[in-house]
Amino acid sequence: MAVNSQTPPLPLLQGTVDLLVLRTLVPGAMHGYGIATAVAERTAGELAIEDAALYQALHRLERQGLIEAEWGESENNRRARFYTLTAAGRKRLAKETAVWKRYSRAVDAVLQGV
Amino acid sequence: MASEIDAELRHHLELRVEELTARGMPAEDARREALRQFGDLEGARDYCFRQDQRGERRRQLVLMLQDFGQDVRIAVRSLLRAPVLALTIVLTVGLGIGATTAIFAGINAVLLRPLPYANPDRLFRIYMDSPPFKFSLSVADFLAIESQQTHFDSVAMYFGRTATFSDGQRADLVRGRDVTWGYFGLLGMRPALGRDFAEADGKPGSPPAAIVTDGFWRQRLGARADAIGRPVRLDGKDYTLVGVLPPETGPLERRQDFFVTLQLSPPPRRGPFPYVVLARLRPDATRSAAEGELRAINKRIFPIWRASYQDEKATWSLMDLKSLVVGDVSKIAGLALAAVALVWLIACANASSLLIARVTGRRQELAVRVALGASRGRVVRYLLAESAVLAAGSVAAGLALAKVGVGLLRRLGADSLPRVHEIALDGAAVWLLAGLTLASLVLFGLVPALHGAGGRVGDTLRSSGRGWTGSVAVRRLRRMLVGGQFAVTTPLLVVAVLLLVSLNGLRRVDVGFDTRDVVAGSIRLPAAQYADPSRTNAFWDELGRRIAAVPGVEAVAFADGTPPNNVDYYNNFDLEDFPARGGRPQPVTPWVSVTPDYFRVLGLKLQEGRLLEERDAQTENLLSVVVDRAWARRFFPNGTALGKRFHEGGCTTCPWTTVVGVVSTVKYAGLDTPDPGTVYAPLSGEQLRQILLRTKTDPATVLPAVRDRLRELEPAAPLSNVATIDELVDQSLGQPRSLAILVGAFALTALALAVFGIYGVMAYFVQQQSKDVSIRMALGSTVLGVLRLLVGNGMKLVALGVAAGLLVSVALARLTSSLLFEVRPADPFVLTGVSVLLLTVALAACLVPAVRGTRVPPADLLRNE
Repeated sequence: MAVNSQTPPLPLLQGTVDLLVLRTLVPGAMHGYGIATAVAERTAGELAIEDAALYQALHRLERQGLIEAEWGESENNRRARFYTLTAAGRKRLAKETAVWKRYSRAVDAVLQGV
Repeated sequence: MASEIDAELRHHLELRVEELTARGMPAEDARREALRQFGDLEGARDYCFRQDQRGERRRQLVLMLQDFGQDVRIAVRSLLRAPVLALTIVLTVGLGIGATTAIFAGINAVLLRPLPYANPDRLFRIYMDSPPFKFSLSVADFLAIESQQTHFDSVAMYFGRTATFSDGQRADLVRGRDVTWGYFGLLGMRPALGRDFAEADGKPGSPPAAIVTDGFWRQRLGARADAIGRPVRLDGKDYTLVGVLPPETGPLERRQDFFVTLQLSPPPRRGPFPYVVLARLRPDATRSAAEGELRAINKRIFPIWRASYQDEKATWSLMDLKSLVVGDVSKIAGLALAAVALVWLIACANASSLLIARVTGRRQELAVRVALGASRGRVVRYLLAESAVLAAGSVAAGLALAKVGVGLLRRLGADSLPRVHEIALDGAAVWLLAGLTLASLVLFGLVPALHGAGGRVGDTLRSSGRGWTGSVAVRRLRRMLVGGQFAVTTPLLVVAVLLLVSLNGLRRVDVGFDTRDVVAGSIRLPAAQYADPSRTNAFWDELGRRIAAVPGVEAVAFADGTPPNNVDYYNNFDLEDFPARGGRPQPVTPWVSVTPDYFRVLGLKLQEGRLLEERDAQTENLLSVVVDRAWARRFFPNGTALGKRFHEGGCTTCPWTTVVGVVSTVKYAGLDTPDPGTVYAPLSGEQLRQILLRTKTDPATVLPAVRDRLRELEPAAPLSNVATIDELVDQSLGQPRSLAILVGAFALTALALAVFGIYGVMAYFVQQQSKDVSIRMALGSTVLGVLRLLVGNGMKLVALGVAAGLLVSVALARLTSSLLFEVRPADPFVLTGVSVLLLTVALAACLVPAVRGTRVPPADLLRNE
């Protein structure tokens, strides 16, 4: 779980925060800190969502109806706000994932080209 | 909400600090590092707060819409269970909305909307003001204006006439205008095909040019693209077709077929004055300055023409073109709009009353809702949903009715209303429809809704269902509504009855002769072939002889006008005994030129002197005329008019004209105008004449033979506008009849609604008083006594309403007086009659539920709690 201090994490392109958050919530409910940790772990420190940006994204996605929130008890018996994907959120995730794949394939094609 | 965000963020920071301290960072540093890693804490907090707020608001809105949807569904179901009530409200309010919108659409098109010409507010008519008359201008006037004016962009003039159009096979009478070449340019109209008139077309001696309307081109020229440049034969003369107007034209062109250019040359005398002069004011000129200049020009040219025109007092004035086109419609329009608006108000009052009653019956149910937790606002919304559904139904009904109404206006008003083709359900009318619907919703929805949700829950739940009649305020409101309905219906009925009495009076006006079996028509000779007056006279003489020989024809004559209102020629004259001196204007009366048999055809009685004879038409100057009794009485009340002399038409150098006979009076200026006195002059020449026949039998059987004789003599001269005098009289009553029917229909609708209203209130009242009634009857009161008690209550309302309505009628009487004929607006018979009618009908409406109320066995009522 250590953050690689040699190479600082990449700056996130705009719009990808939402995508990462939605994907991270697929396995189940999570609170904000858990999401941040999961993303850093998964990318081995390459990507780190700034905390402020993360919470802004979470509340924005909630307003948009893509995730819903509920207060619950965390592992250490503390009150925490847990987020889950809604049906609309799942649909949006699928759509944005497809877009991302197309985009990155296209850029790769150019970069690998002659 | 804010505290939740704080808790959430705090939780995050705690976890971060724990992570850092677990890796060995000291507590203080960990806290600082956690905050630093977080980023903009305050910014995030604010952002999250605002997002949450927005989300919350959206959720509330969705909930409210869901509630409303549910309310509407329940309202529809509940209304379906009371179909009579729902249908009544939807239909009556819909009628009010639809009729008002239709009438407004008419008024908008005819009176309010600017004319469809370029910059219409700069267009004026120049006329001669010689109170009380307004006259048209002459060629001399026009040429003077054209050369001397500086305030107008352009001036033009026109003269309306008919002509015979022949295409080789048939001849038809068509309508059109002689115009100056700049006419269309002034109006801002351009032909869709070909070209507009040019200055060259207006020069005397140029080949005559014509422009036709789209309708004429389609119907009579076969809509051929190569029609431009080909000849069009009007009155036997060939005009080169230079242009065709677009289908969309303004009111001045609507009923016309052709336009040909006037080729003006300097005239020998000032008159005649048949031309309508139009002018377009320059953008930087003012109307008053232009009028001042016109008056100056008139003064300047007066001495030049003094020999032929002596009215020094006459001045030139401007009227806006819209007034010329629209005429007198505004009075009728105001009345019609007021009538429909009142019907709408009454319908809303009825609906309100019905809904209040309905809500009153449900007060307990609604109180239970409130007791179970619904807010009062929620209850009001729930009740409003019902009114909203009704309003939606009304607007649908109103829209359909408005469409029908507009169609009716266009069809019925096609001949009598100006600009009828512009009447449509346009944007303004639709806005009015929406506004009326909203106002209806407020009027009949809000009060019942507020009433249903008000009051103390405990009291409502405790009160028994039947005995409760609603708070005093609501009862008073319902009674005021009913009283108000009658107050509004009364003036409507009064006006309707006055119009009907007026119409009846007009129908009974004596036209002046026996109108049975007299038929009239127009004959127009082709101009080119009959340019020579002696040939024209020979033709008319021969035609008269041939038609007189037709079996079934008792007498035939020709004239240049017909009763009751088809005389266009008004002439002035200077009496020998009472000359117009010192600038006083000469008297003006209608002049009818006739052949000698005219008096026999109409059956006029000769009262003094002699009738006109053949020799009177053969003199070079006008030496002999016959006048009617009205003329004699007007100018020579004390003595005889026989032998009196005058100079006609402002001619100072002509010999005297003498009155040689006096006949009985005939209406020529319309049935409702007092007789101004008519002068009969001998008819000679003229290519257009009216023919009048008195037949021994039904005119329809004689007409075919008459047409045959005419066709044998001159196939290119059609017989048009054939109608019996009775039919002409009937046509002249068209406008007052339509108005009476219109207002009458609205008044009857208002009456029906008001009666319905009182019936409803009475039925409800009786139901509420049923316990009282049964107790009284059990204690020995008679049926009659009880009835008097119940009905008295309702009739008091009606009487008050009718009394208020009568006051309103009298107060507004003056506004309608111009529409009435021989009946005073505050005629006591009419007022009494209407009051009696209303009270009687209301009494019947009160008695029915009251009688029914006394029939219920008292035992049932008393037993039922």
